[in-house]
Amino acid sequence: MLTIEFLRARAFRIAIAFALAIAIATSAVFALIYLKVSTADVERVGALLVDESAKGVGDSDEGLRRALDLRITRDLRRLDYVALFDAKGGLVFGNVPTMPPIPIDGRAHRVSEFPLPDSNSKADSAIFVARERPDGGVLLLGRSLLEVYALRETVFGALAIALAPTVLLILAIGAIFASRASRRLARIRKTIADIMNGDLGARLPETGEADDIDKVARAVNLMLDEINRLLDQLKSVGDNIAHDLRSPLAVARAKIERGLKQGATVEDQRAAMADALAHLDRAAVTIAALLRISAVENGPRERSFEDLDLSAICAGIFELYEPLAQANSIELTIEAPKPTLVRGDQDLMREAISNLVDNAIKFTPADGKVRIEAATIDGRPVVRVSDTGPGIPPQEREKVFQRFYQFERDGRSSGHGLGLSIAETIAKLHGFNLTVEDNNPGARFELRGADKASLALEAAHS
Amino acid sequence: MKPPVLVIEDEHDLAEEICFELQASGHVVRLAETWEEGLRAARAGGVSVMVLDRMLHGEDGLTIIERLRGEGNSTPVLVISALSSVDDRIRGLKAGGDDYLVKPFELRELTARVEALSRRITDTRATRLRAGPLEMDLVERTVRRGERLVDLLPREFKLLEYFMRRPNQIVTRAMLLEDVWNFKFLPQTNVVDVHISNLRRKIDEGGEARLIVNVRAAGFKLHVDD
Repeated sequence: MLTIEFLRARAFRIAIAFALAIAIATSAVFALIYLKVSTADVERVGALLVDESAKGVGDSDEGLRRALDLRITRDLRRLDYVALFDAKGGLVFGNVPTMPPIPIDGRAHRVSEFPLPDSNSKADSAIFVARERPDGGVLLLGRSLLEVYALRETVFGALAIALAPTVLLILAIGAIFASRASRRLARIRKTIADIMNGDLGARLPETGEADDIDKVARAVNLMLDEINRLLDQLKSVGDNIAHDLRSPLAVARAKIERGLKQGATVEDQRAAMADALAHLDRAAVTIAALLRISAVENGPRERSFEDLDLSAICAGIFELYEPLAQANSIELTIEAPKPTLVRGDQDLMREAISNLVDNAIKFTPADGKVRIEAATIDGRPVVRVSDTGPGIPPQEREKVFQRFYQFERDGRSSGHGLGLSIAETIAKLHGFNLTVEDNNPGARFELRGADKASLALEAAHS
Repeated sequence: MKPPVLVIEDEHDLAEEICFELQASGHVVRLAETWEEGLRAARAGGVSVMVLDRMLHGEDGLTIIERLRGEGNSTPVLVISALSSVDDRIRGLKAGGDDYLVKPFELRELTARVEALSRRITDTRATRLRAGPLEMDLVERTVRRGERLVDLLPREFKLLEYFMRRPNQIVTRAMLLEDVWNFKFLPQTNVVDVHISNLRRKIDEGGEARLIVNVRAAGFKLHVDD
């Protein structure tokens, strides 16, 4: 529950941050517009005043006064300042009581906090131009910047009107997304709880939107499929282990029991014990093989891999097995003329291939053939072990690599049935595929590595 | 009288069996059942070989080897362990162990390896090996039994050399696979036996006495008069 609330808060927080960013950006745009427009306006007013003062400064007193009077009269909004000072600084005419603190140079100056004409209450910025008349008096023209401030208010008013709905919209969208995400997460959480309670068939909901949650859900579902598969396998393996261990133990126990009860002579007892020992050994071999598989699975990873030559390994295996093949009247041949280079664990690769050869020799009848091949085909390292034995029917080919699978070939049992499982485990560890095909007649096991290009790709990814 | 073998093993039943088996093969055995006891006994010295369980009541037995090696004690150690991954094995040997045996093992295998360690080959530079009627020239790559020249394939030569360096000593199939063929696992078939019987056919001709004999439930032995 905490997680959901946190995520909901998180989604909403993102929306708030987004809204804030939009507000700042929009305000900045409005501020810029206002700044540009107001600056232009101030400049325009200034330029106008400079022009007018330049024109009016040379007029006669009479004409100037008329013109100024007219100006005040026309200025309904009372924004214009006009004043005529004599040479001593006394006000001759106009609506400005005292000379503002600006130089008398005929240029536009900004004066802040100047009271409006005909009003003592409000003081605002204004632009003034003062120019000296030929008689030593001063003509003062000015205009309040009230209009510019009014523009500012308009601009910010518009901003507020535009911004409020945007922010609200973003927050609403954020809330919708947050609640949708939290609803999905709640469903996922419920499914996980179901799975934890034993419903291994349950899967996380996928919406097909390919968003982040969906990707995670899909990955988790794939993981669950794999776990399910392994569990199924484990279940059947468990049954098989029980069988494989129980039967030799039961036999050993029976033999010892019989030896104790009925063994009249020391020789009888000795024979019973030897029999029992052989069955215990069988159980020990099974355990050792199981440990071996888990050792391989949990053992070396790429870091212990080295460059090795599968052809050389095959040659070594050929040398080890040739006398055995000969003794069984089997023709063992090898074809590995060129180095077959891969990265891997030397001991494990040797073990995997030798399990295949061991198996092939065991199931090939006298006067049969077993052939070992190693080569690089289409950029992929390949090792093949083919025999002329009874082969494996197509429907059995998948099962043959399962742990403890024992397939009666030609009436002969495949030993403890773990050799091929070990080989497959080792192959998987190296990114190899172990498959079995028909050799017409016989079986052909093939270890095939990934091609160099995909290996390079993997290396680049990791 | 050979110096004793020190067995450091906390599992009482297994320890008892190991001691019994080693004694049956003519060894004097000392037993230590805890980590501290083991270290003390090893430091006391006068031991030919140590058999050390990796897990001693939750303590890593390898630290005993590391301590001993740090103190300049180079008594050969056979490490026995239920940890069988390649990494564990490498770690065991890196820590200074001389051989590594994974549980479950046959007691004869253990005895054979203890004996191999107690008679470690001191002179590896010898160019001629002699064992009973057999004589091997490592430079010329020739083998004679008495006067007769025995013609061997390279792999048979390698195999016989291994036996001649360990006369009258039990050699197990696992030891042969490991040391001669560099195979660190046991194949299911009797692949080693076939090699041995091929080698036998060449070195024992006609009415000559069998030199490489089978040792029941353990392996083989090059049986010669010293």
